[in-house]
Amino acid sequence: MSDPLAEPEPAATHPATGLDDVVHQRVRLGILTIAHEARRVEFGFLRTQLGLTGGNLSQHLGVLESAGLIGVEKGYAGRRARTWITLTHAGQAALADEIARLKQLIVRVEAADGR
Amino acid sequence: MAAGDDPHRLLAHVRHLTRRVRVAQRVTWLPLLVLAVVTLAAIPAHRYGWRSTCVTVADGQICRGRNLALIVYWQVALAVAYAAIAYGYLRAARARGLGGRVMPYVVTGIALNVLVQVVALLVTHEGWGMPEGLERPDGLAMFLTRLIDWGPAIGVALLVLAWLERHLALLLFTAAYLAVLLVPVNFGWGTHWGGDWRFLPPLVIQGGLLLLGGLGFALAQRPWQHR
Repeated sequence: MSDPLAEPEPAATHPATGLDDVVHQRVRLGILTIAHEARRVEFGFLRTQLGLTGGNLSQHLGVLESAGLIGVEKGYAGRRARTWITLTHAGQAALADEIARLKQLIVRVEAADGR
Repeated sequence: MAAGDDPHRLLAHVRHLTRRVRVAQRVTWLPLLVLAVVTLAAIPAHRYGWRSTCVTVADGQICRGRNLALIVYWQVALAVAYAAIAYGYLRAARARGLGGRVMPYVVTGIALNVLVQVVALLVTHEGWGMPEGLERPDGLAMFLTRLIDWGPAIGVALLVLAWLERHLALLLFTAAYLAVLLVPVNFGWGTHWGGDWRFLPPLVIQGGLLLLGGLGFALAQRPWQHR
């Protein structure tokens, strides 16, 4: 039988436990942020802003697309092939959740430092 | 958690990217220049569109002026202007590899234009808000006349654009523009000089402000460098 006076298990409520590995990664978080803010974003803009190679960016986009967080649409502008990325509803929810958890973590860390 | 996953750094990264996208989406000079042209091109309709009808009363004559040409001009010109602004914004954003966030501004601008048209028609046809006799309209009526007009409607819509773009410089510019329009500064035009051209100084000031603002933002944003 558990001790009723014992403190609750910190891991059960700590915001870090709910972090999604797909989103909690600097580059993928950046992709979701830009896609959210821009409504839709072109592959080249993401590559420039995030300072990635095309291959590296494609890998991260593949992870996000497999998780259902982004939609990828290929098309042409004149003769140039262009790839547009949009955020899905699940992607918007995941981004909002990640940012909320990051803020909670900061509050926790600052509260711990203040003790 | 890895050092790169530090929540402070990740949140700073998110804010930095958000700001970069908003700056890249801005085409602030476009609406200001288009609206400046629309404002200055209204001069002929202001000058030559007036028709007045007079009725004799016990202590004189009451003349009421109507300018339907002006109402039609602003309705058509602003609708075309907002359509051109939406097209230009989305085209520029697309060329930079981004979607646009201009539609709430365009919808607000068109809705305010319709509101001003309705009020202008009520005033023109029904004499809404006009005094019955020879007395001058009171201060509140004069303020409302200045407020519910095409110039302030353009300004209020620009406030929406400043909010959408989180653009402090545009917010300050628009506040100054609205202050110039709504504060009753008059150097005697219409009373001591001006005659049939008394509408011209405020219209030129209004159009000139938009023109200067458009040129200023164009110099700051350097659209030719995005090509």
